[in-house]
Amino acid sequence: MNIIIPIKQVPETSNVKMDKETGTMIREGVVSVINPLDLYAIEAGIQLKEQFGGKVTVFTMGPQAATKALKEAIAMGCDEGILISDRKFAGADTWATSYTLSEAIKHIGEYDLVIAGERATDGDTGQVGPGIAAWLDIPLATYVSKIDEVTKDSITVERLVEDGYQILQMPLPALLTVIKEISNPRLPTLRGKKKARVSEVPVMSAEDLKLEESYIGLKGSPTKVVKIGYPKVTRGGKIVKAAGDEGVNEAVEGLIKFLEAKELI
Amino acid sequence: MRYNHVTLDIVEELKKIVGPKNVFSDEEKMEAYSHDETNAAEYGHMPEVVVTPTTAEEISQIVKLANRELIPITPRGAGSGLSGGAIPIFGGILLSVEKMNRVLDIDYGNMMITTETGIVTNEINNIIKEKGLFYAGYPMSLETCYLGGNIAENAGGGKAVKYGVTGKYIMGMELVTPTGDIVNLGGKLSKDVTGYDLKQLIVGSEGTLGIVTKATIRLTGLPTAKSTLLVLYKTPKDAIDTVPVIMAKGTIPVSMEFMDKLSVQTACEYLNESLPYQQAGAMLLIEVDGTNQEQVELDAEAVGDLCMENGAIEVYVADNYTTQERIWSVRRNIAEAFKVVSPIQSLEDIVVPISAIPDIIPELDRLSEKYDIKIPCYGHAGDGNLHATLVKNPDHTLEHWHDIEAKALRELYQITKKLGGKISGEHGIGVKRKKYMLENMDPVELSLMKGIKMAWDPNYIMNPGKMFDIE
Repeated sequence: MNIIIPIKQVPETSNVKMDKETGTMIREGVVSVINPLDLYAIEAGIQLKEQFGGKVTVFTMGPQAATKALKEAIAMGCDEGILISDRKFAGADTWATSYTLSEAIKHIGEYDLVIAGERATDGDTGQVGPGIAAWLDIPLATYVSKIDEVTKDSITVERLVEDGYQILQMPLPALLTVIKEISNPRLPTLRGKKKARVSEVPVMSAEDLKLEESYIGLKGSPTKVVKIGYPKVTRGGKIVKAAGDEGVNEAVEGLIKFLEAKELI
Repeated sequence: MRYNHVTLDIVEELKKIVGPKNVFSDEEKMEAYSHDETNAAEYGHMPEVVVTPTTAEEISQIVKLANRELIPITPRGAGSGLSGGAIPIFGGILLSVEKMNRVLDIDYGNMMITTETGIVTNEINNIIKEKGLFYAGYPMSLETCYLGGNIAENAGGGKAVKYGVTGKYIMGMELVTPTGDIVNLGGKLSKDVTGYDLKQLIVGSEGTLGIVTKATIRLTGLPTAKSTLLVLYKTPKDAIDTVPVIMAKGTIPVSMEFMDKLSVQTACEYLNESLPYQQAGAMLLIEVDGTNQEQVELDAEAVGDLCMENGAIEVYVADNYTTQERIWSVRRNIAEAFKVVSPIQSLEDIVVPISAIPDIIPELDRLSEKYDIKIPCYGHAGDGNLHATLVKNPDHTLEHWHDIEAKALRELYQITKKLGGKISGEHGIGVKRKKYMLENMDPVELSLMKGIKMAWDPNYIMNPGKMFDIE
C-alpha cells in the first residue's frame, strides 16, 4: 500500500507572538515543528504500512528549513521525504497550495491513499486536504476517526460528525483527513533519527512540477486578506471597595442594585 | 520552651511597623498560611497573625519585637515546601516575603542579578532570557516557588546533575538575623575566604538562622539548544547501571531522571498518554543541552548509543518542543497522579551515592511487599536523589497507615544510611523528618548544629521546632 502524507511546518504554539501593527504572526526566530495535527496522519500511515506493507512518503511545501520536519517524520518511520520548494510558491492561499500539492502528488507516483491532518494549527482553515482531493478528483473523507477495513481497492472509515459517527466505504485511491482519535503518534527512535540524518530529501521546484504559473503563489491565490484585527474585549471588571462595617453594607447594597439592573437576581 | 501569645497590643504594634494592610489575623485568610505541600491534616498549624513586610528594616523591627515578647516567627516563601519548613507549628507570627519581589540590579558585567527573595524563581529567567542569560536553579516547582524558599531549602531539582543545586549560585545576601540585626554576607566575589562562609551556612538552614531579604545570584549563558531522550529498560537495575557509564564518558547531561514502571504507568494513565511502558520495567529521561542544536543532537545520540550498548531496549529521541513536553509532562505529573490514586502518601527524597542506586531498588520492592503498600520510585538518578514515595493502600485504615508509615520510613532510612546515603537530598527536614534526622545523625554533628542555632538565636524564636528541637 503506497501512502502519501502532506505535512506542514508550523510555529511551535507556545512561542507564537503577533505583530500588533500588521496583525500577522511573527515567524522570525520562532522554532518550527511538524503541525501537531499532522502527527496523527503520520502515525496512521505508518500503522497501515506496518499492517499491509508498502511505502509511506511524506512531503511538504516550504523553505529549505522544512527539511527538518520531513526528517522528523522519517525518524518516526516514514520511508521517504520530499521537499516542494520554490520562491514562486510564497504567499499561496489554500487554493494555490492544494493545487501545488496535488501536482506534486502526481509526480511522486502511484499511490493508494493520501492522509492529511485535520488542519494546520497556524492557518486553521482545514481546506488544503479537501482541496487536494478536489484537484486530484479522488474520493474524500474528512474528520476520520478510525479505519475499519482496507481491501485491495477500497477503504472503510468512520468519520466524526456532529451527532455521531458516519461509516463510509470508498474506492481507492482516496484522501482522508484524520483527527486525534485515529492514533497515538509514536516518538521518533534513535534508530529512526540516524536513518533520517543520512537520508536524502529531494527538492522539487515549480519548474520540476511543470506548474501553471498563474495558479501558484500569491499570484495564483484568489484569497485576499483585507484586514486582520483583534477582537475587542467587551468584558469589564469593577472593583467594589469596602472599608469597615458601614462600607461593607454600602458595597453590598450597591452590588444588589447592580445585579438587579442586569436582571441577574 | 514556652512562648507568649500574640495579643491585640502586639497586633497593633505590628500594624505600626508594616502598616495595617500588611497584617491580618482572620482565620479564613490565615488558613492558606497554615500548611505547605505536606499533608495539611497531619502537619498543618494556624499562625496567630500573618505579616507581609516590604523591607528588611520592617523585618528587623518585627524580629526585635518577637525577641522582646518571646513570640515565635515562621518565615515563609510560596509555601511549596515538602517538609513543613514554613508551617508555624507554635502559632505566633507568620512572616511572608510575598510582597518583596522586586528586581534590584541586573549586573551584566558580572553576570549576576540581585533581587528580593519573594520573587518567583521562574520570573528571574523570564527577565534575563532576552539577554542570553540563565539562572540554573531548577526546582521542579519553579513556576510557583520563591527564591527565598529555594535558598532556605537549598533547592535541587531536575537539572542538578550538570548545574548543581541552589547554593552554588548564591553569591551574596542580605539577612535579618534571629536577633533582628541586618547583615550583608558574601558579595559579587568569585573567591572569598575572608572568615567563615556564613552565606553558605544560611543556604539550606530552613529559615532557622534568619530571614534572607535580598540575594545576589550568579547567572550563566542561556543554553539555547536541547535534546531529550526517553530510554526504556527491562529492569530498574539495567537503567541505573547505565548512569555511571554515561557520566564517565564525557557529556554530562543536564538531567537524568529515573522512573520505575509503576510511576510511568500511573502518570500515563493520569495524562491519557500512550508511551509504550508495558514492555519496560524502568525508564530514564535524559536531557542534553548546549548552544548549538546540531552538536547537542549529536551528543544526545552518543548518549543514546551508550544506553543501547548497556542494555536499553529502546531509545526515543525528542528534539523539539512538542515531543520534549510530552516526555517531561510524564515525569512532572507522577506525584500529582499518585495523589489521585491515594491522596495520603509520604513523598520522600532520600539521597545515596550514585553507585548505590541499584542496591536500593530491591529493598523498596521488599518494603512494598512487607507492608502491602505501593512504593513508586522516581527521581534524579544522575545525583542519587530518589523520590521513593510510600502511598497508602486504599484498603488500609488511617490508623494502620500511620503505623506502617512510621515503620516503613524507619526501615527505608536505615537502608539509605547503610548505603552511605542521607534521609533528605532536597526537600529538607522541617517538621516532617525531625525525629528521623535525630535517629540517623551522628550525635556530635547534631550537637554542633544545635550550638550554632543557640548562638545565633538565643531566645529560640526563629522558625523554632524545625530540623531539631533544642530542649
